[in-house]
This record gives sequence, structure tokens and C-alpha cells, in this order.
Amino acid sequence: MKLDGQIPDGPLEQKWSLHKKNMKLVAPNNRRKYEIIIVGTGLAGGAAAASLAEMGYKVKSFCIQDSARRAHSIAAQGGINAAKNYPNDGDSVWRLFYDTIKGGDYRSREANVYRLAEVANNIIDQAVAQGVPFAREYSGLLDNRSFGGAQVSRTFYARGQTGQQLLLGAYQAMMRQVQEGGVEYFPRHEMLEVVIIDGKARGIITRDLVSGEIVRHEADAVVLATGGYGNVFYLSTNAKNSNVTAAWRAHKKGAFFANPCYVQVHPTCIPVSGDYQSKLTLMSESLRNDGRVWVPKKKGDDRHPNDIPDEERYYYLEERYPSFGNLVPRDVASRNAKLVCDDGLGVGDTGLAVYLDFRDAIKRYGLETISAKYGNLFDMYHNIAGENPYEQPMKIYPAVHYTMGGLWVDYNLMTNVPGLFATGEANFSDHGANRLGASALMQGLSDGYFVLPATIGNYLADEEIGKRYGTDHKEFEKAAAEAQAQIDKLLSIKGKRTIVDFHRTLGKIVWDNIGIARNAEDLKKAIKEIQELREEFWSNVYVPGEKNNYNKYLEFAGRVADFFELAELMAKDALDRQESCGCHLREEYQSEEGEAIRNDEDFSYVAAWEYQGVNGELKEQLHKENLEFEFVELKQRSYK
Amino acid sequence: MPSIKQALSSQVGRKIMTGITGIGLMFFLIGHLAGNLSIFGTADAFNIYTKTLMDLGPLLYVIEAGLAFFFLYHTVLGVSIWLGRRKARPEGYNTYKSKGGPSHQNLASRSMIISGSIIFIFLVLHIIHFKFGADYTTMIDGEQARDLRRLVLEEFQKTWVVIGYVFVLLLAVLHLAHGFWSAFTSLGMKHGETSKKIQVTAYAFSIILMLGFIFIPLYIYFTGGEGSLISY
Amino acid sequence: MSKDMTIHLKYWKQAGPDAQGYFEEKTLNTVNEHMSFLEMLDVLNEELQLEGKDPVEFDYDCREGICGSCNLVINGQAHGPKEKVACCQLHMRNYKDGDHITIEPPKAGAFPIIKDLVVDRSAFDRIIEAGGYVSVKTGSAQEANSIPIEKEHSDLAFDYATCIGCGACVAACPNASASLFTGAKIAHLGKLPQGELERSKRVVAMVDQMKEEGFGDCSNFAECEAVCPVGISISAIAEMRKDYVKAVFS
Repeated sequence: MKLDGQIPDGPLEQKWSLHKKNMKLVAPNNRRKYEIIIVGTGLAGGAAAASLAEMGYKVKSFCIQDSARRAHSIAAQGGINAAKNYPNDGDSVWRLFYDTIKGGDYRSREANVYRLAEVANNIIDQAVAQGVPFAREYSGLLDNRSFGGAQVSRTFYARGQTGQQLLLGAYQAMMRQVQEGGVEYFPRHEMLEVVIIDGKARGIITRDLVSGEIVRHEADAVVLATGGYGNVFYLSTNAKNSNVTAAWRAHKKGAFFANPCYVQVHPTCIPVSGDYQSKLTLMSESLRNDGRVWVPKKKGDDRHPNDIPDEERYYYLEERYPSFGNLVPRDVASRNAKLVCDDGLGVGDTGLAVYLDFRDAIKRYGLETISAKYGNLFDMYHNIAGENPYEQPMKIYPAVHYTMGGLWVDYNLMTNVPGLFATGEANFSDHGANRLGASALMQGLSDGYFVLPATIGNYLADEEIGKRYGTDHKEFEKAAAEAQAQIDKLLSIKGKRTIVDFHRTLGKIVWDNIGIARNAEDLKKAIKEIQELREEFWSNVYVPGEKNNYNKYLEFAGRVADFFELAELMAKDALDRQESCGCHLREEYQSEEGEAIRNDEDFSYVAAWEYQGVNGELKEQLHKENLEFEFVELKQRSYK
Repeated sequence: MPSIKQALSSQVGRKIMTGITGIGLMFFLIGHLAGNLSIFGTADAFNIYTKTLMDLGPLLYVIEAGLAFFFLYHTVLGVSIWLGRRKARPEGYNTYKSKGGPSHQNLASRSMIISGSIIFIFLVLHIIHFKFGADYTTMIDGEQARDLRRLVLEEFQKTWVVIGYVFVLLLAVLHLAHGFWSAFTSLGMKHGETSKKIQVTAYAFSIILMLGFIFIPLYIYFTGGEGSLISY
Repeated sequence: MSKDMTIHLKYWKQAGPDAQGYFEEKTLNTVNEHMSFLEMLDVLNEELQLEGKDPVEFDYDCREGICGSCNLVINGQAHGPKEKVACCQLHMRNYKDGDHITIEPPKAGAFPIIKDLVVDRSAFDRIIEAGGYVSVKTGSAQEANSIPIEKEHSDLAFDYATCIGCGACVAACPNASASLFTGAKIAHLGKLPQGELERSKRVVAMVDQMKEEGFGDCSNFAECEAVCPVGISISAIAEMRKDYVKAVFS
């Protein structure tokens, strides 16, 4: 099967506008006759629900949280990129495009990335109009700061809570539509199955998380805006409820899953302190603007960091990458942190941490300036770690943060299943093998506010108006029965090990073998371990409580079951990709200095996997979408 | 925009009206104290003051009606807010503790309904006690007038009356201390430095005012109150 | 490494909105000072499950103090004893060996209990629905820098906008009032020129909705400010009142 990305013809700069010109439209009076299901209420889902309802479509919006406002986009700290060029430092749409595609190590589609850079400016306009309180200068105009992977300042921010403010903007816009009747709103509902009739996505099966009821919803199109799968690692910066279930169940119904091995490990997180740890806390990358990363030059130097003189400190990022210094992209920063710790230079109780030091910045700009910029992050660190970052360096270590892989979509954000769309982190489309900081918010909102509302009409225009099969159609029956059967199965096992225990063990296998650095031997070993643990899960897991009631552990059990399958696919994908690119570092393919070696000849493709069942082993068929680079020249990435 | 009725029944309207009526009642208290202090003037001063009020005739009724309205409105709002909390939280906590810091939960604020209710009962008794008490007469400038001073001096010789008055007036310190600050807050004062100053002022105001009121029964009780404090 | 602490827990159990609630007690012997409060509850639930008992349900998600899911009332204080943190960021180093801890759900008629410590806060969604937004359609916005906003106003708007919607204000208020939550949104949008046009409509609709949902009146206790995990000032309530009065006389 040949995968068609549906990339429009024409010069890069005009592809999106030409496509918009050529796309079919649904007339305003007909829009209310089309129903669209949107699963997830983060930036991508919330923005899409609001925008589509404003256009006149009937939207049904679902989220697992008790309110749409709690989607995990809320936790994004640093900012959102846009090439407004307000600081007059030479930025342009082209440069944002170029930085993003280079940052992704040339493993994303040119056309998608260019469109992203192009609509980014509109996002800022939209957010400001909604009342998002971005940081401003004394002139009353918007302020920008710089972020990793770019040599211009193009990041708009709202202190360390940019995601929160942007999400609340989208949420409020959506709630306005709830009141006006354009959006029907289902909080505390989890999608368990996609219903496909005659080859097209026609609805979903959900579980009402309060009553436990299995509910059927029919529509003309289904959008999955359900976020990433970082929680397969158990410990990640994701929220505890973030999961792959919606995307994975769609995958099991035929939607291809692309590039699952591309997982971003964020360089600046608070290190792990013990077994009970339930999640990792990220310290915004913006801290690297002013903080200096270092480790002691001497192994086992257990002096207090403030007592180690400058000449005995190894500022490894500044020394190895003089032109980007502490602002190298995330993958480079994470890998180097791992390298110095592997060399035994790590600090803290576990030796798995490096210092992020603000001493010099405080000296240069004063305590007040630093506090105004990072106050809430410093307080957060102080509270969690019990150490004051104004007085001594922070200890940080990389942690899983974002997943570039996701459901395969074409230029219109539609999966290979007609009528099934995926947006935001749930799709694979814009970040290649590595995402630059402040680009996730950009992509989520670009998909939600501007791209999907345009492209979904193109699909719906060909769909018969008001076509309904009825939720008693045999496909609905079948999907609902499948969802119910899995729940019954999980509750009936009554084994000896808890869900958290399984999840933690799975997470450790994934982190140790499909983490910052991978190699064929470990990956093969991981596949075997995952399969064995999965077998045990299905025979020995203990799921408490009942199905017809609020039961969080039952929810988790279903999600962990999906992580078990995804984990195996990640290993397969990582094994297949015999090169190093972006966040995917194969130890076999690196230079002597530990720099990644990409293989454009053989691996310049999107790996899209087709589910073929699990029987002890996960069966998946690989489809390749070749990446064509017409406008940029492929270079070995260098931040030296 | 909202009708006056809608506005007055909204939670914002109710709180603002509690503040406005509260401030009105505080002004009344200032006037009341000023008048009362005339009891320390010449032998006739207090009765001249009461006569002047009585001579207002119908105007006095209007003032009294206004005062009663403010007082009852304030009371009704207070009781209704208190009843509302029962509905808003049908089941309470097993353990409850204020977090302190910027919180204004204290003896004064938590006991508003109690101090308010006691003040209400007191007020009814106070009116019966003096307004409708023994009708002694005296002559002022050749006209017959009520000798309220005599009644006051007599009553404040009774130990239980004095104890009762002092107790209620001390409670009123609490009610006013929170009420004063809260009224300004209801009327739009921001929380912050000014707010702290107002809180201090509120305590100073209520303590001074109530000491003024308390002084009267105590002085009379211990000295008999005959003769003037001020010598001519 | 720090030594394990023993903590005596007493927590609320309730099967459903109409069921009779009760306290259950359990002692944990392996509490570490670096654990967050919710991680300690994870440990509790692991132990309960291994004993074949039902775990205690509580709401949580991000565990970094921003999503507003968690909202426990700990020893009578919303989010526990520490100022300006959500209970997911409350660490056990704030407790000592042998401490007794009582955990209750936020209690308010407008927040019916779903199960154990989990409550239904959809009333907050409906307050926002009533008017907590700027009615701007996607695509119709003007250039972002076309309206300069005084930095001071913008910063102040941010301070109010930072509300995480956890409901601690309601939980702690002796009257179970939602004034701080509602006021914060009104003050956020009211500080910005974008929110100006709908100022009057917004305040009236949101204030009415707050009453409709069954929240109590505000008595200026300011307990809400004390428990707010992001430190929103009751000045937000003052802004709300000012806007309301302006709306009445406009």
C-alpha cells in the first residue's frame, strides 16, 4: 500500500493558500447537519471544538478529566513560537520553518512544517484577542524570549504558564459554544473504540467514567486530539491520566501508527528520588537561557557545588557546542547529560543529575530580574527538591516529555481511515524526530484553530448530508461489545500484582532500552521482556472494584494494557530504524564524539505501522512514506 | 442591565447592601454616642438633647423609620447569608481549620451572626428599657419635658443592667471590628496594604466608640452620676 | 537517605452521591519525606489492593500544581497546611513521624460527591459558560500588537488568570462561596481591553450563575485567598463587585 501524504503542488510558500483555494467547502446552512466528534480538550481538541462550532458544525466534545480545562496542555510552561519578528532580529516564516525542520533532523514533511510556521502568527493574534495575558514590555507591546534550537527570539510566553493561559483561552472559547449549543460536552468520558462503517469512521464508543456506562455516539467524522504516549515509560512529565488508549484503539481498527520510536526526552527535569515516585516534574527549558549547565570535572567530587571553583567545573554544553552553548536542542542536551553521567561525573545521591546554575545570571541581572523571569519555577523547584535555587544550583536530569510519533495523517490531518482525523501530539506530523521547544503549543493550536477547521470541510463536503446508520448498527454493537468484553476480562483476572506494579516494571524496561540511547541487542531483549510481562499482566493483574461505578484503577488497567502493545511497537520501530536521528540515538550509528549519524539514503521515510493482531507477539506491517525534500538541503545537524 | 430587584438579590448586591447599611448604622452610633455624652454636661443638658429630638416631631418618625429600615435590612441580610451557608454546605467537615495568612477568619468574623443576634435582642430590650421606660417629667425652659436623665441614672444603678450593657457593648466591639473592614471590602477595597490599615482603623474605631458607650453606665454605677463631669 | 515515617491516616469513604459516608483508618509505615502527599495516597492504595480491599478514590492528574484536579481537605485545610501549593505538591517533609492526618473531600452542595474524595465540580464549568470568555471567533482577530496594553495591567490580569479551578476556595469558605473563582475570571478579563466590551454582561451572567449553582454568599472571610494554591487575592472579588455596580448603573 502506498501512503499518500496528499501534499498539494506548488511552491512551498503557496501550498497552503493554494490548497485552501482548491478545497471543497460546506455551505454555512448545511454545517449544522454535520456532526463531528472530538476526543480530547487540550489545545488541539479544545481549539477545534470551539472553531468548528463557531463555523456552525455540531460538535460533540469528550475528555477524561472532570473539566475540559484540565487537559495536559495546561502544564506547558515555556512558550509558543511565532515568526512575528517583533524583536527585529531577522526572523521570518522561512526561518521558523527551517529551524523546525532542522530541529526535527529532517524527518518531517516540508509542506506540513511550512504551514505550521505560516499559521503560527495567526495563533498569537487569536490568543491575544481572547485575552491571553502574554508577557509585555513597558511599551505595552508583546515580549519575546529565546528558546533552544533557534538563534532568534521568537517565543511568546505568559510567565512559566503559557500552556495554561493558551488552554484557558481555547477552553473559554469552547465553553462559549457549549452555552450556545454548538458543542455538546462530555467530561469524564473515555473513548474506548472507534466505530468504522463501510470503511469510514462513523462514531465512537465511550465509557462514562462516573456511572461506568458504555455509550455509543454517531457522527460524520471523528477527531482524535488525545495527546501523546509518554506515559508508556511510567515516569514522565505527562499527567497521570495521559494515555495512548484512544489512538491505540484506532490503530487496532486500522489507523497506521507512525514513528513510535521518536520520543523526546526533556533535558531539564527534577531527578528521580525513589520507587514511590509517580511522575517527573519538568523545569522549563527557558531556564537554559540564563542557567549554565555543568558537572564537576573530577569524578566523585562531593563538595558542595558552591565550593567548586570555576576551573574545576565542566560546562560541557558551552565547551562542546560553542555557538549554541546551553541553548542546544533538547535531544542534544539530554544525550550529553546522559553521557557525562555515564562517565561518572553525575551529581546527587544517585549520580543521575547535572547542575543548572544561576549564580552568574543573578550576578549579572540581579535577583529581582531573575525572580521576575523564573520565580514560579524556582519556587516549584524549592518546594519539590527542598533546596533553594537562588542559593545553590538546581539538580536536573532528562525525563520523557513529548512523543513526536503518533497516528499517521496526511496533509489534511486525516489518518488512512477516511473520516478519522488526528491532531496535536496525537498525530506524528510536524516535529520529525525531535521537537523544538515552544513548538508543541504552536502545533496543537495551529491544528485546532486553523488547519483542521479548513480541511475537515473538504472531507465532509463529499459526505451525504445527515446520513445516519443508527447506533444499533452491527458495527456499533460489535465495538460496544468489544469494549465491554475487555473491561469484564480485566476485572475477572483477580491476580496478585497491582496495575501500578506492572506499569512501573514496563516503564523501566522501556526507559532502559528504548530511552535516550538504543541498540539492537537491548531492543531485542526489550521486545522479549515486554511480551513476557504482557502475558503475565493478562493472567496476574489485580483490578479492584466494579465496572458500574467510578473506578480509576479500572481506567488505568485498560490504558496499561494498551501501553504493553505500544511498547513492543516502539521497540520494533527503533530496531527498524538503523540510523540515529533527532531523539532516536542508535549507539551503533554515532561518531566517536557521540554525535548522531543520520542515514538519509535508506531511512528518509516515515515508518507507518499497520496493526495485524497480537498473539504472544505483536504483529505489525511496516509501510513507508518517503520524505521528499524539494526546498531544503539535508545537512548533518550541527550546533557547534 | 440587571433590574434593581435582580441586583439587590444577587450575591454581590446583598453583600454591598450589608456594607452600606452597616456603615449607615456606624454613623448612627457615632451620633448616638455624641448625644449620650451630654449626660456628663450640666444637669439639664441630656434632657435638652432628648427634648430637641422629640421636638422634631414627624421628622423624628421619618428618621426612626429610616434607622429601623437600615437595621432590619442589615439584620435580614445577615441572617439570610447565614442561613444560605447551611444550604450551600449541607454537610460540614469533621475537622476544620483556618489556614491563617491573609485569612480574616477570627473570633470577630466567625461570630458575626452570634454577636449580631445578641445585639438585635439587646436593641429591642434597650428600646423598651429607655424609650418605653418610666415616663418621668421635668421642666426645661418653662416647658414640660421628659426626664430621661433620671431614668438613666436610676437604671445604671442596677448591677445586672450595667453588667448586661457592658457585655453587649464588648461584643459590639467584635461585630464592628470585622464589620467596618468588611464593609469597605464589600464596597470595592482591594486586599493589600490599605486593607491592613483599614483593619487597624476598624479595631481602633470600634474600641474607642464602645469605650465611650461603656464609660456611661460604669461611671454612673460607680459615682451615682449626680453632678456634672464638666465643671463650669 | 531519610528514614521512613509512620503516618496514621483517616480518610472519607462514600460509595456514591446519596450513600452514607464514613471514615476509614489505616496506618502507613513506609512514608518517605520526599514523597508528595498524593504519592503517599498511591502507597496507601497499593497496600489496600494487596490486602484485597478497595482503594480510596481521589482526583488528580498533572501532579505539578497546574491542572487543578486535586482538591483534598487535609486536617481541615484545603490543600493542607502549606500556603500556595496544591496538595499534589505538598511533600511529606511537612509532616513528622507519628502524625495523624484526616482527609476529607471538599464539601459543598454545589460539589456533589461522586465517590470517596472525588467530587463533581461541573458547576465551575457552567459559571465560565455563563460568560467567562471574550466572544471572538477564530480567524477574526486583529494583529496582536495593534492594541498595546500597559504592562502593569497585563501582569495584573495574569495574576487573576492563573486560577487553576481546583475549588479550594469553595472548600475552605465557611459559606461555600465561589466568589474568588468567579471574581478571578471577571478580574482577568476586566483588566484587558479585549474584555471591555462584554464587561457588564459578563459580570451579571456569571454572578447569577454562581447563585444558581447553589454556592453561598461571600462574607469577606478571605479564607479563600489563604488556601488558594496560586495565591489569588480577594481583590478579585472587589473587582467583581465594582463591575457589577457599574453594570447596574450603566
